[in-house]
Amino acid sequence: MAPLPITATFAGDIVTLAVLADDQDTAAQVADKIAFHVVGKRVAARNAPVKLRLGEQVLDPDQVFGTYAADSLPHVEAFFDE
Amino acid sequence: MPKLSRSDWYDLSRDTNWTFRYVSEDDVFPEDLSGSHRVATDGWLKWDEPYKVSYREYVHNQVTKDTTTYSLKNAISRSKVFDQLDPGWKSVILAHYGAITMPEYLASIGEARMGRFGRSAAWRNTATFGALDEVRHGQIQAFFPYGLLEKEPRGDWALKAFHTNNWIAIAVRSLFDDMFVANDAVSIALQLTFTLETGFTNLQFLGMAADAIDVGDLEFGALISSIQTDEARHAQQGEPTIKVLIENGHQEYGQFLIDHMFWRSWRAFALLTGLSMDYYTPLESRKMSFKEFIQDWVIKQFTEQFRDYGLDFPWYWDEFVKELDWYHHAIHTIIWNYRPTVWWNPDAGVSPAEREWLEEKYPGWNRTFGRHWDVITENVRNGDLIATYPATLPVACNICQLPIVRAAGVLTGAHTDPAPLTFVYEGRTYHFCSAPCKWIFTQRPDRFKGHKSITDRLLTGDINPPDVGGILAYMGLSEPEQGVDADNYAWAEET
Repeated sequence: MAPLPITATFAGDIVTLAVLADDQDTAAQVADKIAFHVVGKRVAARNAPVKLRLGEQVLDPDQVFGTYAADSLPHVEAFFDE
Repeated sequence: MPKLSRSDWYDLSRDTNWTFRYVSEDDVFPEDLSGSHRVATDGWLKWDEPYKVSYREYVHNQVTKDTTTYSLKNAISRSKVFDQLDPGWKSVILAHYGAITMPEYLASIGEARMGRFGRSAAWRNTATFGALDEVRHGQIQAFFPYGLLEKEPRGDWALKAFHTNNWIAIAVRSLFDDMFVANDAVSIALQLTFTLETGFTNLQFLGMAADAIDVGDLEFGALISSIQTDEARHAQQGEPTIKVLIENGHQEYGQFLIDHMFWRSWRAFALLTGLSMDYYTPLESRKMSFKEFIQDWVIKQFTEQFRDYGLDFPWYWDEFVKELDWYHHAIHTIIWNYRPTVWWNPDAGVSPAEREWLEEKYPGWNRTFGRHWDVITENVRNGDLIATYPATLPVACNICQLPIVRAAGVLTGAHTDPAPLTFVYEGRTYHFCSAPCKWIFTQRPDRFKGHKSITDRLLTGDINPPDVGGILAYMGLSEPEQGVDADNYAWAEET
């Protein structure tokens, strides 16, 4: 368990956020942490799961996020998977 | 005794040049402070200011300005004028005082640097008046908000802001350190006087004074007018400086300095003036949109300046023009979200009538930025104010220090890649909001490395605890100082 700060955007939002994840979080947990700051606050909620994109790769929600994020302060984009 | 005309004595009276025998020219004008060594001494002798004034005339003019402005202030301070001002307009002046008062005072350092290290005696003479101007501007803009303290205690942010780690103060401080506090005389002339003052603030102050009178703020209108007349004079130091550079084959260097500071000035201008014009100024007092103001005044002014001196538009001009449609709208939304982190009360400015105005001035606004305000409005109407507040920081750009925002649905200027631009230098990753901000950093990384944005400070443990309470304390904001919605959410109830 180690803090893993990331920069994050949510598709459709207007600002890049600093979000504190944990390297043992799953991708789904990280997606929730990003969505917490955006969905229902600046972006309307939708009935769809939120997924993560790291570069070109859409992450497996169950995979541990730390296994993907080798860079310090990686950037991820969360989005509604519709 | 016959009276001489000015032209008979002016050149002689300001010529303080002499030939150095005990020290070298380089010792007297060190390049770090002067920035003038590209051009030989003789080249600088051609520097000639377009607006000439003697010390006697200067003092007479300034006394008259001060007497008029302070008298007006004394008369108005006994009235209820401030109480009756629109809440959004109060935010305009509070934001202005906190962001501008100390930079005006610091600008006296920049002017004094030109007054000492400018290579032409004529230039040093003009800059000395400029230094006196800026001391006056610092003092008068500290004194006027001091008079508001009984009615608005946050008037003290005119002095306080620059002594805090508030993120807006960090952004403004970074800009003005770059522009004049930590700059050489030639760069100050081109970046402060040619770019910021001639191109942006001289025009802005004219418009702002007119707006102030229109909303009934005679005190602020008189203050700004008084300052603008000084700016119009000392801003002219840029023109002879770029002329000397061009005549001596250094147009490219001048262009670089202007390109650098035009972008940084635009960023600060969008933050302060963009929000004021399009969201904070009462609807009935808006004469034009921020975009129209930039198009009609700033672009026109720069087009003439560039044409007159054979300069090119900055390489990022298309991006700048596209940003007129979206950048300040995104910044406004974020500033309003983060309202507890600023020392003024952000005015949402999105009542139905205001949204209609925004849609007219920025076709598509409802589809792009309006949809975010739909969500916010719904939360306010449901009484869920917690949902309208932030719980983490945005990522700030390592040059402009402002949140990295995106166009979100605006087709022109929309960023295609969601990731912020980055640059790794000496093992550290820097983040940027735009290609011009990244370009500014990469041209001279040693000038900018090491500085921490507000986000860097959060992530490297400078802010403790690293939560909202810790952030607000770090920014120097006690609860009564934190911004709240200017209209107490009345706009959300209107249909």
